[in-house]
Amino acid sequence: MTSTTAPDTTAPTQEPVTPDRPRTTLTRRLSPFGYLSPTIVLIVVLMVIPIVMVISYSFRDNVIVQENSVFAGLANYTTVLTDPNFLAALKNTAIFITVSTVAHLILGLAFAMMLNTQLLGGVTKAIFRIVYILPWLFTIAVIAVIWRLLLDPSGVVNYVLQTLGLLQEGVNWLSDPGKALWAVTFVNIWSGYPFFMISLLAGLQGIPNDLYEAAAVDGANPVQRFLNVTLPQLRPVIISMAVLDLIWTSQQFALIWMLTGGGPLNVTEVLSTFTYKQAFSEYEFATASAAAVIVLLLTMVLAFFYVRLQKER
Amino acid sequence: MAVGVTRLKRVIGAAAAVTVAFGAAACGSDDAGGTDAGGAVTLEFAQWWGAELPAGEFDKIINDFTAQNPNIKIKLLSAPYASTKQQLVTGAASKTLPDVVGLDGAWVSDFAKQGAITNMSELMTEAKYDPAELASQVQIENKTYMIPVVNFVYPLFVNKDLLTKAGVDKTPATRSEFLDAAKKISASGGDVKGWALPLDTAVPNGIQNDVMSWLWASGGSMLQDGKPNLQSAPVKSTVEYVKSLNDAGVIAPGALTMKEQDKVEKFTNGQVGMMIDSLAHINLIKENAPNLKFEVAAVPAEDGYTGKRGIPYASWGIGISDSTEHKAEAFKFVSYLMSKDTNAKLSTIANGFPGNKNAQPDFSTSDPLFKTAFDIYQQGYPANEFVGLPKSEDLMRSFDEQLQLVLTGKASVDDALAKSQESWSSVIE
Amino acid sequence: MTTTLRTRQRFAKAGVLTGLVIGGLFAALPVLWMLSTSLKSNGEVFQNPPQLITESFSFDAYAEILGNGAQLRFFLNSYIVAFAVTVLTLLVAILAGYAFSRFTFPGQKTINAVIVSVQAVPPITLVIPYFGLVVALGLYNTYPGLILTHMVFTLPYAIIMITAYLNTLPKELDESVKVDGGTSWTALWRILVPISVPGLIAVGVYTFMISWNEYLFALTLTRTDDMRTVPIGIQLLMGQHSYEWNQMMAMSILGSIPVLVLFLLFQRRFIGGLTAGAVKA
Repeated sequence: MTSTTAPDTTAPTQEPVTPDRPRTTLTRRLSPFGYLSPTIVLIVVLMVIPIVMVISYSFRDNVIVQENSVFAGLANYTTVLTDPNFLAALKNTAIFITVSTVAHLILGLAFAMMLNTQLLGGVTKAIFRIVYILPWLFTIAVIAVIWRLLLDPSGVVNYVLQTLGLLQEGVNWLSDPGKALWAVTFVNIWSGYPFFMISLLAGLQGIPNDLYEAAAVDGANPVQRFLNVTLPQLRPVIISMAVLDLIWTSQQFALIWMLTGGGPLNVTEVLSTFTYKQAFSEYEFATASAAAVIVLLLTMVLAFFYVRLQKER
Repeated sequence: MAVGVTRLKRVIGAAAAVTVAFGAAACGSDDAGGTDAGGAVTLEFAQWWGAELPAGEFDKIINDFTAQNPNIKIKLLSAPYASTKQQLVTGAASKTLPDVVGLDGAWVSDFAKQGAITNMSELMTEAKYDPAELASQVQIENKTYMIPVVNFVYPLFVNKDLLTKAGVDKTPATRSEFLDAAKKISASGGDVKGWALPLDTAVPNGIQNDVMSWLWASGGSMLQDGKPNLQSAPVKSTVEYVKSLNDAGVIAPGALTMKEQDKVEKFTNGQVGMMIDSLAHINLIKENAPNLKFEVAAVPAEDGYTGKRGIPYASWGIGISDSTEHKAEAFKFVSYLMSKDTNAKLSTIANGFPGNKNAQPDFSTSDPLFKTAFDIYQQGYPANEFVGLPKSEDLMRSFDEQLQLVLTGKASVDDALAKSQESWSSVIE
Repeated sequence: MTTTLRTRQRFAKAGVLTGLVIGGLFAALPVLWMLSTSLKSNGEVFQNPPQLITESFSFDAYAEILGNGAQLRFFLNSYIVAFAVTVLTLLVAILAGYAFSRFTFPGQKTINAVIVSVQAVPPITLVIPYFGLVVALGLYNTYPGLILTHMVFTLPYAIIMITAYLNTLPKELDESVKVDGGTSWTALWRILVPISVPGLIAVGVYTFMISWNEYLFALTLTRTDDMRTVPIGIQLLMGQHSYEWNQMMAMSILGSIPVLVLFLLFQRRFIGGLTAGAVKA
């Protein structure tokens, strides 16, 4: 659930072609709301209400664990924002999501371009397509468990690297404070690239061939064709996917929790694990909610830029 | 006009249809629990035990109860162990906790404070139950909230083959003998290490089972009058001892994110020579490694210590939801599980020690190592100071983080203990 | 001239193939290890040095999963929930996407922004209020409860995708229906939906996958074993003290098959479907 494809939410800019008939104005005005009503009902009842409740928790004290909680103003926010663990988690999250998203993009694009090649036959490409989506098919708990096995100090990864002579002695991938965040990020990259790949593959297939032909006539080499045709054509797809991937990766909880639990020495502590510990280990639901609201606000900044970029298209 | 209205109607109609479909679907909810027409009461019992027992064994015990009590039905609910606590917290917040819940001693204080589990002392009085049979009760302010049903002790497991290969012929009984044995095992070649220390912070139980056990084995305590006392000499010597094991390079790599399961797997596969672990694992180890020669012993104590040794334990505890409408029936079920015969039976199949003092686990069919362990248990005393402490998981975690700093050379033992003392003091008032 | 071109092409082909194989190893090796683990005995999982195929190679773990009624029930539940989520999500998202794509109305941007940003709240903090709500609505431990919940998480993405897809279709298509006296309703179902099938399949497969693999809410919102889904069944095999490694892996392999089959069936249209939505800028 960590990556996505190309949304294009811009509403059509042209006004209806048919002349505006006064009789149907009301209908035209109301019918979009009719179409939207199931969505609105569902989102408001099952999403907006819980979110509002979380926001209200964040201003109270001792929520959930005690019957009478009191209004606490911004105290929970002060607590969270001055907690060094929160700030560290914020930093780790920034690294984790940026590296993951960039790697998802690069890998996804590279794999998509290889899968889109004219040089190979359809069957070969179909087989590779199946192989390349494999990481996408497993529930996150199993991904965490299998990677813990692989990355164990006496696990497969060390064994292979040592046999190949690439490593002198086994590395503690997940328990070495200097490596853990990278190891966790690597696993997340593995599990999340396929959706980027599929979407970009689709994007590549949709680029009209005459654009490449025109570039070839102009004497562009493959690199120039990539930079001047492929990338600009994929730009809207890439932007949308990157924004959604950033949002989704920032919520990655189960993977990190099961791989390292935020350790060693808190180097893999991210906002989601921080929030979980606040809520279910310290029973501080109020500060957990405050942390969640801060995450929501940060994401809304991201969403704002996203909408802006959408409009610029 | 007509066209417009029709169009609008259709759009709204379609939307309404979808909305109604949701609504209708919503009404199909089932209502588990409660009393049915025949007057029988259904109790929901949430636990993770069934999954840990041989298939079908737990159901037999439950069926015996329902046969004796035709007006009570038991519905077993199981959840993955790792998520049990989060499930209970969530359920308690909405007053939908199952009637009877399996508990870990480390959770009791928090659930009691949340008003999720009920005061069983009252129920005992009402039911005229005599608690004298109970080996222990977990109490908060002198009221019982949890009864340990089965206890699992944590002795030292030793791989005899590795020990012999390393030239050690005596199972270590003191800290220096243990260090010496661990060094020799680690030097005996391969990737084999002397000891495994799981310090993963997602489930920081390693602090209780693998670190504090050294303290308790020498009769030490991490509390004084119920308040944290982490800067005392015994605690300091324990942490320094763990550090010396680490400095000597005898701890299996990956300790900082190792989980309890990993520890057992590594022992089972002969990658570590010694570990402190739940007795419940004997069968598992035998099943996975039939040729492994190992034995259990008391956790080594400080050199020269002659007093009684505290033996860490974990429990399958039981509690009753505060919001259940069937407290009397629920307590009836609890007292059934605690009764002499049932408790003996359950302990035997779970490879644990009974929570009923008079229950005699049947060692005739179980491994002789259980008898050994039972002797160790009876010579010492059960020790787990985390039981009943508030936010005990959090206490373990903060201690874990400080210990990790010590082991990676980023903090001195004194600083780490001072920090832990400070953070514990803010939780335990 | 032609030979150099051909040689060059051959080099390029070899290069691409090498790249694909390396990438394929990266993608597939962990899955291969999963498969290998599912065929081992639990004692062999931590064997050192690791072996791909061990002495006790057997399909017992698969037999055990497939021969266990409770486990099969998890699969049935997952199928019911995931299929219902997919169908309902598509239905609701088509209507919403149509509104966003073909109408201009007040509050459009706000509603759109809300739909995008509800995805941003960490689910783990939502669990408690959400659980209370579901209990209050009488949806606790029911299929509808799970289905509606999963829909809340699949809808935003589906709406964004379908809006994008409909935006790529020329407006003249539905206008022609209206000129013939049809309504916007008929234009949607008679014209737009039929030509959007590939796009809908793409969204549907993705929706199915999210629902099939969802863990947190599937666990929290169900209580009895007969309502649990596959991801929870897998975690039930991770005990307090030990893991049933081989069964766990066997169950994930079995669980991945429906998605794989769906992907195989729809692979051409799937990719085609994304194309149309993705390309339009």
